[in-house]
Amino acid sequence: MSDVVKETAQDAVDIVEDHAADVHEHDVHAGDDHAAHDDHGGHHTSLGLSNTKLAMWLFLGSECLLFGGLISTYMLYRNRTSGDVGPDQLWDIPFTSASSFVLLMSSLTMVLAVSAAGRKDDRNTKLWMGTTAALGGLFLAGQVYEFTTFYREGLGYTDSLFASSFYTLTGFHGAHVAIGIIMLLATVGMLAKGKISGDRAETVEMVGLYWHFVDIVWILIFTLVYLIPA
Amino acid sequence: MAIIERPTDTAPAVYEPPPVTATSSYGYLRRPVETTGWRSWAFTVDHKKIGIMYGVTAMFFFIVGGLEAGLIRWQLAGPDGTILSADKYNQMFTMHATTMVFLFVMPMAAAFANYMIPLQIGARDVAFPRLNALSFWVFLFGGIFLNTSWILGGGADGGWFMYAPNSDTPFSPSNGVDFWALGLQITGIASLVGAVNLIVTCLNMRAPGMSLMRMPIFTWMAMVVQFLLLFAMPVITVALFLLIFQRNYDATFFSVAEGADPLLWQHLFWIFGHPEVYIIVLPSFGIISEVLPVFSKKPLFGYPFVVFSGAAIGFVGWGVWAHHMFASGLGPVSVAVFSVATMAIAVPTGVKIINWTLTMWGGKLAFTTAMLFAVGLIVQFTLGGLSGVTHSVAPSDTQQTDTYYIVAHFHYVIFGGAVLGLFAGMYYWWPKVFGKALSEKWGKWNFWWMIVGMNLTFGPMHIIGLQGQPRRMYVWTEARAGEGFFNLGFWNLVASIGTVVLAIGVLFWMINVWVTHRPGSKIPPAPLDPWDARSLEWMTTSPPKPHNFDRTPTVHALDEVFHRKYEDVGEGDQHDYVQRATLEEIVAEEERNADAHIHLPAPSYWPIVLAFSLPIIAYGVIYTSWLIAAGAAIAIAAMFGWALEPADAEETDFDPPAEPGESTSKELANV
Amino acid sequence: MTATPRRRWSRAALARRTGLVAAVGLLAAGCAQNAPQDTWDPAGENAQKIHDLQWPVFTVAGIVGVIVLSVVGFAIWKFRDRGQPIPEQTHGKPKLEIALTILPALILIGVAIPTVGTLMALNETDDTECIVNVTGQQWWWEFDYPVQDGCGGIDEPIITSGQMVIPADTNVLIRGTSRDVIHSFWIPRLNGKRDMVPGRVHTLRMQANEPGIYAGQCAEFCGLSHANMRMEVAALNDADFEAWKANQLEDYESPAEGTLAAEGEQTFITNCARCHQVDGLRDSDGQLVVSRPDNQVFSGAAPNLTNLMTRNTFAGATWDLITQERRDQVWEADPDEFGDLYLAGVEDEWFNEVDLREWLRNSPAKKPMYADPTRLEETDGLVRGMPYLALSEAQIDQLLAYLLERK
Repeated sequence: MSDVVKETAQDAVDIVEDHAADVHEHDVHAGDDHAAHDDHGGHHTSLGLSNTKLAMWLFLGSECLLFGGLISTYMLYRNRTSGDVGPDQLWDIPFTSASSFVLLMSSLTMVLAVSAAGRKDDRNTKLWMGTTAALGGLFLAGQVYEFTTFYREGLGYTDSLFASSFYTLTGFHGAHVAIGIIMLLATVGMLAKGKISGDRAETVEMVGLYWHFVDIVWILIFTLVYLIPA
Repeated sequence: MAIIERPTDTAPAVYEPPPVTATSSYGYLRRPVETTGWRSWAFTVDHKKIGIMYGVTAMFFFIVGGLEAGLIRWQLAGPDGTILSADKYNQMFTMHATTMVFLFVMPMAAAFANYMIPLQIGARDVAFPRLNALSFWVFLFGGIFLNTSWILGGGADGGWFMYAPNSDTPFSPSNGVDFWALGLQITGIASLVGAVNLIVTCLNMRAPGMSLMRMPIFTWMAMVVQFLLLFAMPVITVALFLLIFQRNYDATFFSVAEGADPLLWQHLFWIFGHPEVYIIVLPSFGIISEVLPVFSKKPLFGYPFVVFSGAAIGFVGWGVWAHHMFASGLGPVSVAVFSVATMAIAVPTGVKIINWTLTMWGGKLAFTTAMLFAVGLIVQFTLGGLSGVTHSVAPSDTQQTDTYYIVAHFHYVIFGGAVLGLFAGMYYWWPKVFGKALSEKWGKWNFWWMIVGMNLTFGPMHIIGLQGQPRRMYVWTEARAGEGFFNLGFWNLVASIGTVVLAIGVLFWMINVWVTHRPGSKIPPAPLDPWDARSLEWMTTSPPKPHNFDRTPTVHALDEVFHRKYEDVGEGDQHDYVQRATLEEIVAEEERNADAHIHLPAPSYWPIVLAFSLPIIAYGVIYTSWLIAAGAAIAIAAMFGWALEPADAEETDFDPPAEPGESTSKELANV
Repeated sequence: MTATPRRRWSRAALARRTGLVAAVGLLAAGCAQNAPQDTWDPAGENAQKIHDLQWPVFTVAGIVGVIVLSVVGFAIWKFRDRGQPIPEQTHGKPKLEIALTILPALILIGVAIPTVGTLMALNETDDTECIVNVTGQQWWWEFDYPVQDGCGGIDEPIITSGQMVIPADTNVLIRGTSRDVIHSFWIPRLNGKRDMVPGRVHTLRMQANEPGIYAGQCAEFCGLSHANMRMEVAALNDADFEAWKANQLEDYESPAEGTLAAEGEQTFITNCARCHQVDGLRDSDGQLVVSRPDNQVFSGAAPNLTNLMTRNTFAGATWDLITQERRDQVWEADPDEFGDLYLAGVEDEWFNEVDLREWLRNSPAKKPMYADPTRLEETDGLVRGMPYLALSEAQIDQLLAYLLERK
């Protein structure tokens, strides 16, 4: 990427300084880029980063603002509880720590899956992706348990600002985990049936990127929502 | 549509695409192969067809939004108007703004971006053609969904800014706001998907030699817009989710009785809403930055400055949202910070106006209709920008905000900035897209009536506003209109008459399209290079072939096409440009050297199916939850169908099949 | 120097001067005269501060506009295609660009500094001499004067609506909020606007240099009848303000027995008193009548009518209680005559019966409100605004007679 930046800056200078007559003498930079990256990328791309990967990064950038908005809403309303059903009464830090640990571990297994896919080791790719999905499922089960417990202790979705914003934030995160699990299982299935068109390792890597993002968001949520006292 | 091009070794000058038939099926459905008829549009992934569909839909909504505006001005032509009830009036101005912003200007800009970006950077399509089709269909279904509220109990009535708690059910009991929130949520998906797609296209699909600083300026501005969309859309998504949950599932985000802070909505809305302003105007800035150089026969003055000022607007645009809230009670320190930041953003905007003027300076100006619209933009946008500076001054703004002065300001910015630019783009690129130019004669009627009409409509609103008439009132009263011949009643009437003039201007545009394209029209096809253009999209046939370029162009300079046509034979400081080649010759040369194996993505059923599931889910949220399940089922089926279908049809799908070992082209990515 | 060039020079100068005068004149003549909400006609210190800031900014913006548009116009004329050769393909002159970037930046710094200064001055609260609490609600304003040493001393709270009465030449501080949605309090000739947000209290300075009446309008879209939510500020000199306060706190007097107004008192208790408070009103059992709008009334409040006829307007200051002729007298009164005219309130001879009668006959037909008790389903079970009361003409006559005594 830094090459691109440098090249861009150089061109900017050139455009201002040069007159049209000189312009034709310029090197065709982007053409060189292609040659440099052809051996390990499947497609010609100007940046040398595959389209899907770039798209995933952009999408995750956008997701940051989605969670940014939800987290801000929660932070604004975290102290606006009704009665005495607030964080101090509800949080079960050891339990949530354990389920957070499960989700963190799933990132590790995801890394193993991506590395197996890089070695074209389908069997281990499937194994580790399956494990990741299972750990994700365990985390979700923990969240369902937590929600039911909170609900029984009197925290209904519509009861207070704290309740609405807590359930919405963690619910959105949970939905992201669920979508991740579907993506993992679908990829495992498609791998098994040999249905993946294009670069397998890259497909696995894409799922991995998304999964790590969802994990990182959870670390943020866990810290801001559970660990920092209201 | 042509899926594959297989030039023979003898390379004919012009060739017909060979026949294509599907020989295998995917899942339970055969892949669509139609090249004519409605199916060729419904299942297309061709960025050009999608661009045209965006444009047609956007213009349709432009007329809808215009009719809504007409009713508003009819109601306000005199005191105590009775054309609309208070309720209908509130719906009318809410839907007018929503339609114009989300269903006209944004998709019209998307139409140009879709059609032009791949052509301008020398690509065969966008990075993700099926996602591109998805964007369009999601937008279309979202727009239709939003407008079905008119027949299902009335449109949204809270203003396009939809401030809480006035948008909550006790204050807006009809389903209008639900339709609004869900409809925007759907069109937001279209914008987000489109943003990812077009950014990847701009960054990754450039032809050899097309470095970032050689990208045509329209592509640059469109890319900045896509970045703004990428980061602004999720913010409004959160706000809309909060509103939907509040209204439909009794959440408490905006329940003041529970201790909610109504300013939360305002912050979320304007963090999206201010970048949205630049999302609206930057594409048009890009368009006229293409049009002005062509008709001045000079490169854009200070291209890097225009690029960087565009990017700077994109960045600083994030730091000024609270200038919509100077009267909201933020506290003096915040207001001061945002006031000064707002003044700062005037600088890069001013840079653009200076650059456009200096582009014309010393040029050889040809006043075609496209050029007239571009110059019209400079003039009208300058006026809008200056009135903008007057209310970046926060204390003055507390007098001006929520009055007609603001209405005047942003119509000069949005109509004068965005809409005039879009019309410039239409006149400029019409021959490229449709092979025939719009009539210059009707074009000039179109331009002058629109310019006079807009100034008559929005000019008086400066006076109306400064003399104290607030916005969003379904009636105004003579008791507050002042005295004398030129009282506010007079100016309200002038504004309403101006709307008629403006509408006639738009009518001339419609006549123009009809005259050009009616069956039996005698207007001949446009030459390949009607304007002596400068950028890459002109280096192909008009309209372009499905694969855009016979040979992927190699780019050597900004304004590549100009430099291929002209050579500077002057010595030293003396410049003397002689034409080396015509565009016809250049394109013929490209055809002779066509790439051997061009492989385009194949059409697909799944984008339109997936898009169709979204309004079903949305109706479900409003009416009955089983519809949510039905919509979700369609969505999931479509996603799996999508994932299992290769982006490119397999070689065996084609007739004749590809030879073993022959590699597919690498221009396009698999999705 | 010969005579010819001098004459040409002076003729050009003359043309320029005439042009300038004509332009300014046109601009001034092009505006409404005496518009009651003119933001360019300050009548108080706060609005004046804004005005002192805005006219130079408008002037600078105007000059910049004229320069830019002249340059554009000149370029259009000068460089039109007259068959000249293709110009040099220059890509720009960085030094010129940088200079032309710095220039507007400098101008804007020049604008920013006084902006921040004025902003801070307008948010001062230390010099407050009188406090009025303002509450917005769909679609009228309530003003209450809490017990305080300010405002010349207030021992008992005063509640009024529609028209806010303040002492002239006094720094009044408004503390505002809302009972339902966001409203915005705006008296253009006295100060800029400030949103009144439910759950928050916002302050706004008010000061009128001279006695008189100053028009305003809710400026934040607040639903159905946003257009019918107006307010006025009546500024009185100190003596008149004392008189107004004393009148507001006078004890309630029942109408004389056997009069139409006495029947009106009963009609009022039956039909109106559930929502509208009249302080000191007692029912036939001698019990104080206290308004208790039930849960169906969203905000739980309606205008206090104890001294209705000391005001000139009703229903969100949308309709006049006085005739047009009387209204003109009040609005156009000299500052030293204004107090007497205003304090006279509504008298029989200038009572505008027409609008109030129509209002009592069917208020939602006159002012759109979510107030139809038969359509509660649509309005989420809540009424906002005054419902249709199905009063007979006789009852309306009684009520008019009763209300005319409320002063």
